[in-house]
Amino acid sequence: MVVVYPMTEMDEQSGPPITLIDPIDMSKLDTKFREQIKSMPNGEELSACFACSTCTAACPIANIWQYKPHQLIRMIILGMKEEVLSSNEIWLCLTCFQCQERCPQKVRVTDIFFDCKNLAAEEGKVPPNIIGLGKELLEKGQLYTVTADWEREDLGLEPAVPGLSVDSMKNTLKKTRTNKLVEGGE
Amino acid sequence: MSASNPVLIIGAGVAGMTAAVELADSGIKAVLVERQETVGGNALDLYKAFPTDDCFYCFEGNRWRPGIRKCFYRSALIDQPNISLKMNSEVNTISGTPGQFTVTLSVGPQYIDPKKCTMCGLCLEKSKAFHLISPQCQPQAVVYNPSINDDGAKQAEEECPTKAISLNAQPTEEIIKVSDIIIATGYHEMKPVNMDEYSYGKHPNIITQLELAKIIDPNGESNGVPLKPSDGKPVKRVMMVQCVGSRDENYYPYCSKICCVFALKHANILMQERDGVQVSVVYMDIRTYDRYERYYHTARESGVEFIRGRVSLIQPREDGSLDIVVYDSLLNKYLKFSVDLFVLSSALEPPEGTNKLIESLGLKSASGFVGIADPKTENEVIVGDHIYACGTALGPAEVPESVTQARAAVSKILQSRK
Ligand SMILES: Cc1cc2nc3c(=O)[nH]c(=O)nc-3n(C[C@H](O)[C@H](O)[C@H](O)COP(=O)(O)OP(=O)(O)OC[C@H]3O[C@@H](n4cnc5c(N)ncnc54)[C@H](O)[C@@H]3O)c2cc1C
Ligand code: SF4
Ligand code: SF4
Ligand code: SF4
Ligand code: SF4
Repeated sequence: MVVVYPMTEMDEQSGPPITLIDPIDMSKLDTKFREQIKSMPNGEELSACFACSTCTAACPIANIWQYKPHQLIRMIILGMKEEVLSSNEIWLCLTCFQCQERCPQKVRVTDIFFDCKNLAAEEGKVPPNIIGLGKELLEKGQLYTVTADWEREDLGLEPAVPGLSVDSMKNTLKKTRTNKLVEGGE
Repeated sequence: MSASNPVLIIGAGVAGMTAAVELADSGIKAVLVERQETVGGNALDLYKAFPTDDCFYCFEGNRWRPGIRKCFYRSALIDQPNISLKMNSEVNTISGTPGQFTVTLSVGPQYIDPKKCTMCGLCLEKSKAFHLISPQCQPQAVVYNPSINDDGAKQAEEECPTKAISLNAQPTEEIIKVSDIIIATGYHEMKPVNMDEYSYGKHPNIITQLELAKIIDPNGESNGVPLKPSDGKPVKRVMMVQCVGSRDENYYPYCSKICCVFALKHANILMQERDGVQVSVVYMDIRTYDRYERYYHTARESGVEFIRGRVSLIQPREDGSLDIVVYDSLLNKYLKFSVDLFVLSSALEPPEGTNKLIESLGLKSASGFVGIADPKTENEVIVGDHIYACGTALGPAEVPESVTQARAAVSKILQSRK
């Protein structure tokens, strides 16, 4: 039995007018994003997340983030690809693995943020300071140059790090995607 | 007090039926009074049942009975000589003293004798006055609507191969003496017509979970394919809202306890067994207590979308779909969805007449349900002197709990008769 009710009563709507709320239109989001992350290394557990926010509680740095770790996971599940991949947070993550260690649903939060970084890099969405670091790595073969200073001397260490070969490192790096990123390829 | 006095059971849902069968099997006469035309109560059209995902009439505990399990209640309710089943009937008055109650019953007219009807279908073709409530209805018999008293009905009465029809049946009043009373009057799913924010009753595609259960039941009209009530077209997007009228001081302050579980049961059926249906669940807390956490886990695995927050507004579209804005409290953002079916997990409330029953028997009330006599004793099925309650008459519960309570009530009666 199909009961048809008059719909006219619905015309006078209750609640705040939609223009004031300006909601995110779900039909404009990328529903495949969730599957994409799940297919990446250690992303399988993604949908087990039940938004408990343990990851955010564990994170030593999220207090200054606009999107907290549990919100980023939630945004991935909802399909907010654009926002996640252009967020600063995925690059600010310290990869300390605190969140991942504590997650009660075994969601590999840190690894998933890593996957996000890879996806963002593929789309060329890498913040300039990260590119800067890459450049430094390519040019110097190392990120932090060890200088012969009094501290080493006090500790009885040789002035230079023994066996450090920055040249072979530079050569290897030239063939990696880091090089392409820095040169603005990809 | 005569030990041979029967026991009155009010309500023939899962709890009342269990109590009747268990008493009868122990040699005690049971008068089972049901106001509807079929027994089974709210569990009649529920398709798969948690926790086993088995059919609703085939619970593990009944397997020892001979015959196919689906026939269990039929054989018991109709053929067990110790059970006297009164359909379309109500309890009028209860007087006397505990252990010796005098009960007057209004027994509805028995147009169809369930012991004779074979559900051959002949009468259904003769007249619209006959119909089958559900293939799962118990007793397994057609029902007759006397307001359509046409020639076809008379013809059917003559031609019924088993002479099961008697169109002139009359209602009767019966007075019985019983030693004990078991209240198994169950629950009612609240119709949230007064909650303006959900527009229930104002749009055909806004329904409750019990209504959804009927839609997705493979025995139902569309063989379980979810179709929009507005135009009969397939449903692609479903949104459910939890805690409608429960945990709400304006309606019912308690948690209805099982709505999270059955909502997720439905969500899983839709996502896993029906083609291309996407389900979203708007919730405040998900309370899949105990072993039911499994349903929550499965739901997330199968891609059910969970939004912690509340519905902001609903806008119907010309094509029958609904635009729904939800506030997501985890993201602190508003999300806009377009859905075909909007399903309310509405509170489970005491059924009509519970107040009267509580008052006339001098029982306690627990948020409107029957309250236990002495909470300190932990005898949760004892609600008065020689008066017991079981199942959802005591408050929202799942079937296994209702059945366990029914058995507990029976066991108390058996002990008292030793
Ligand atoms: C959508 C939904 C899905 C569910 N799914 C599941 C599930 O998968 N698994 C599970 O275990 N549980 C499930 N449940 C819960 C299940 O419905 C109940 O646990 C069960 O039906 C309770 O049985 P009962 O006998 O206590 O009450 P009811 O089924 O309510 O039966 C009460 C009976 O008493 C009759 N009655 C009431 N008052 C009177 C009166 N004054 N005189 C005469 N007769 C009266 C009624 O007509 C009714 O037949 C679900 C519930 C809902 C709403
Ligand atoms: S701790 Fe795990 S389950 Fe909890 S919100 Fe973070 S990712 Fe989700
Ligand atoms: S790994 Fe990143 S997100 Fe996780 S706790 Fe550490 S800093 Fe926070
Ligand atoms: S004709 Fe008789 S036996 Fe057949 S369904 Fe009708 S009442 Fe039952
Ligand atoms: S069981 Fe779930 S939906 Fe039902 S009242 Fe409790 S929390 Fe709300």
